[in-house]
Amino acid sequence: MTDASLPANPAAPETRKSVSLVAPDARTQKRKAAEARFRMYGIAGIATGIFFLVVLLSTIVASGTGAFQQTFINVSVYLDPAKLDKKGNRDPEDIKKVSTFGYTPLIQQALFDVVETNNLETPLAKRGDMKALISASAAAQLRDVVLENPGLIGETVDFRILASSRVDGYLKDRVKREDVVRDKNIDAEHLDLIDLLVPLGIVEKTFNMDFVTGADASESRPEAAGIGVAMAGSFFMMLVVLVLSLPIGVAASIYLEEFAPKNRWTDLIEVNIANLAAVPSIVFGILGLAVFIQFMHLPQSAPLVGGLVLTLMTLPTIIISTRASLKAVPPSIRDAALGVGASKMQAVFHHVLPLAAPGILTGTIIGLAQALGETAPLLLIGMVGFIASNAPDGIASGLLDPNSAMPAQIYEWAKRADPAFYERAWGGIIILLVFLITMNTIAVILRRRFERRW
Amino acid sequence: MNDMRILERTVDTNEVKIVAKGVQVFYGDNHAIKDVDVDIQDRTVTAFIGPSGCGKSTFLRCLNRMNDTIDVARVEGDIRIDGEDIYDKRVDPVQLRAKVGMVFQKPNPFPKSIYDNVAYGPRIHGLARSKADLDNIVEEALRRAAIWDEVKDRLSAPGTGLSGGQQQRLCIARAVATEPEVLLMDEPCSALDPIATAQVEELIDELRQNYSVVIVTHSMQQAARVSQRTAFFHLGNLVEYGETSQIFTNPQDTRTESYITGRIG
Ligand SMILES: Nc1ncnc2c1ncn2[C@@H]1O[C@H](COP(=O)(O)OP(=O)(O)OP(=O)(O)O)[C@@H](O)[C@H]1O
Ligand SMILES: [Mg+2]
Repeated sequence: MTDASLPANPAAPETRKSVSLVAPDARTQKRKAAEARFRMYGIAGIATGIFFLVVLLSTIVASGTGAFQQTFINVSVYLDPAKLDKKGNRDPEDIKKVSTFGYTPLIQQALFDVVETNNLETPLAKRGDMKALISASAAAQLRDVVLENPGLIGETVDFRILASSRVDGYLKDRVKREDVVRDKNIDAEHLDLIDLLVPLGIVEKTFNMDFVTGADASESRPEAAGIGVAMAGSFFMMLVVLVLSLPIGVAASIYLEEFAPKNRWTDLIEVNIANLAAVPSIVFGILGLAVFIQFMHLPQSAPLVGGLVLTLMTLPTIIISTRASLKAVPPSIRDAALGVGASKMQAVFHHVLPLAAPGILTGTIIGLAQALGETAPLLLIGMVGFIASNAPDGIASGLLDPNSAMPAQIYEWAKRADPAFYERAWGGIIILLVFLITMNTIAVILRRRFERRW
Repeated sequence: MNDMRILERTVDTNEVKIVAKGVQVFYGDNHAIKDVDVDIQDRTVTAFIGPSGCGKSTFLRCLNRMNDTIDVARVEGDIRIDGEDIYDKRVDPVQLRAKVGMVFQKPNPFPKSIYDNVAYGPRIHGLARSKADLDNIVEEALRRAAIWDEVKDRLSAPGTGLSGGQQQRLCIARAVATEPEVLLMDEPCSALDPIATAQVEELIDELRQNYSVVIVTHSMQQAARVSQRTAFFHLGNLVEYGETSQIFTNPQDTRTESYITGRIG
C-alpha cells in the first residue's frame, strides 16, 4: 500500500517552484481579498442593525418618556359640610350619596381662590372657568379621600390633584398654542393662566408613579390612565404560561429525545411540533376562543385563558429548544452513567438534564418573552379595550377576573383618538421593553451561571 | 523481553465466567460481529486484539448490553454470565451493568467533582452506609486506579479539568468503585503515558485476583503483558482465541500471525 504511492510522481522535486513567503502568490492574495470582503459585509450588516436599533430606541425613548411625567395642581380645598354632608351627622351612608358632582365645584372654587388671592391677571372670571384645567378624575380622587376619613369634612385640606390632559400636554409641548384655537376643551386664556401658575408652584410636572401602577382610564381622562393593572394581567398570564409550559415542554422533550423509539410516529410528532412553532399566533387565539371560552366556558377576558392560549403558543418553542440542548449533551456522558449501572432515568436526571439546563432555561425565557409581547391572540379572547377599575386582589381574582395585558393595553391606547393616549402607548412600550430586556438579561445570567460551574 | 514474561506466567485454570455462543451483531445492514463463540474465564485477564473496525468494541459492548442504547444495533445469539442469559427478557440491563463495569475508549468523566465522579456509582447502588464509608470507597478506588496521589488534594475540583490520562484513570476508579464482577476496558491506556500505563496494567493484574477483566487493546505488548488469554478479531470474525503465550508465540492462523507481526492492520 505504501509502496504503491512511491513511484506516482518521481519528477515532482524538479517541477516544484520555490515559493517566496514574503511575496504572497496570486492565489493567496485572492483568498485574502475574499476574506476582507466577507468581513466588510459582516461589519456593514452589523452597522445597519445597530443604526436601526438606535433609531428605534431613541424614537421610543423620545416619545415615551412623557408618559412617566404628569402635571399636578396643588390646591387647598375647603371640604364644605354644606355640600358634602347636608344632614351634618357624618354618617358614611349619607356621605356616600354625594356623587363626584358634589366635589367638582369645591375643587374649582379652591383653584379659583388661588387665582384671586394671588391677583393673577386673567380674563377668566368665573369659578366654572377653572374646569378646563382640572382632570375629570380629580373629583373622584377627592371623594375617595373623604369617604375614608369623614372627619376631614369642614376642614381645608391640601390636595395634589391631576391637571387635565390639555394642561399636561401644554407643559410637555404636546399641546401648542396654535392648535388651541380649534380645541373646544381649552382656550388660550387658560394657557396664559397656566404660565402664571407654574412659577407659583401651583401647577407642577413631576414623576408619575400612577402610570406604572394605575389602571386604564376612560377615553376622556388620558391623564389618569396607567398600565399597572395590565401589568398584573400580563404577570398572571406569564405565571400560567410558566407553570404549564415549562414542565409539559421539558417532559415532552425528554420523552421524545431520550425515551421514545425512533420511528415513523415520533418523526411525525417532531415535524408537527416544528410546524406548530410556525403557526401564526392569531390562529392560537381563535383556537383559544373556540375551545377555552365557547366549549369549556372559561370566563372571557381572563388572564387564565390568555395564559392557556399563550402556553399553546410557547410550548413548541420550549420543546424545540429543550430538545436541541438535550441533543447537545455528548452521548459519552449518557454512556458513562449507564456504564456504572445508572438507569436511563437516572442518567437523564442526574447528568443530562443539569448539562442541558442552561439551554432549557434560555429557551423558556425567550419563549416567555415572546408570549409577553404577544397581542394578536389576546384580541380574539377579549383581553383588550377593557377599562379596569381596580387591581386584582389575590391569585384567583388575578387569574379569573377580566383583565388586559401590556401589549393589548398599548394597542388599545394607540387606537384612541387623543394624542395624550398615544404618548402613553409609547410609555407602555418602554415598560414592556424593560421587562423583555430584564428577562433576556436573566436568561444570559442564568446561562453564564450554569455554564461556569464547569 | 516480552516473551520472557509470558513464559513466566502460570495460567490459571478457572471456571468460566462468561459464555458467548453464536453472537451476531448488526448495525442496520452492517454485519459487525459474525457468529462469535467465546468463553471468558473468571479471575483472568482476557485481551481482545485486532485491526481497527474489526468489532472489538462492539463485542465488548454486548457483554454489558451497552449496544441496547444504539437504536440501529441488533444483537443475536446467546451470552451467559454465571449461566444466566443476559439477554433474557427478565434481565434488567441496569443490574447487569452494575455487575459488569465498563471503561470506555474515550475518557468520559462526568462534569462533576472528582469525588462525585467516583462516588456516583456507590451512591446509586447504595454501597455506602455513611459518609465516612463513601469516603473510604472513593479513596480506595482512586488508589487502585493509581491516581490518588495526584488528586487527593483537589477532590472537589471538576473531573473534566484533569489531563486526558488522569481522566481515564478517574474513569477506571469510577468503574471499580461499584465493585463489579467483570470489568470491561476498551483501550483504557490509549491516552496514557508509559508510567500511567504501567500503573494501570498493575491495577489490571491486581483486579484479576477478584474479577474477570476483558481489555481491548491495540498494543501487542500490552496484551502480552497483562492478559492470560487473547482473542484475535478480524472483520467481525473471531479468528483465534487461546492462551496469550500460545497466540503470541505459536499462532495457528496465518491472519493472526500477520497481524501480530505487523503485516495487516
Ligand atoms: N454506533 C454505530 N453505528 C453504526 N455502525 C457502527 C457503530 N459502532 C460501530 N459501528 C461499525 O461496526 C464495526 C465495528 O466497529 P467497532 O467500533 O466495534 O470497531 P473496533 O474494533 O472497536 O475498532 P477500533 O479499534 O478502531 O476501536 C465498524 O464497521 C463500525 O463502522
Ligand atoms: Mg473500539
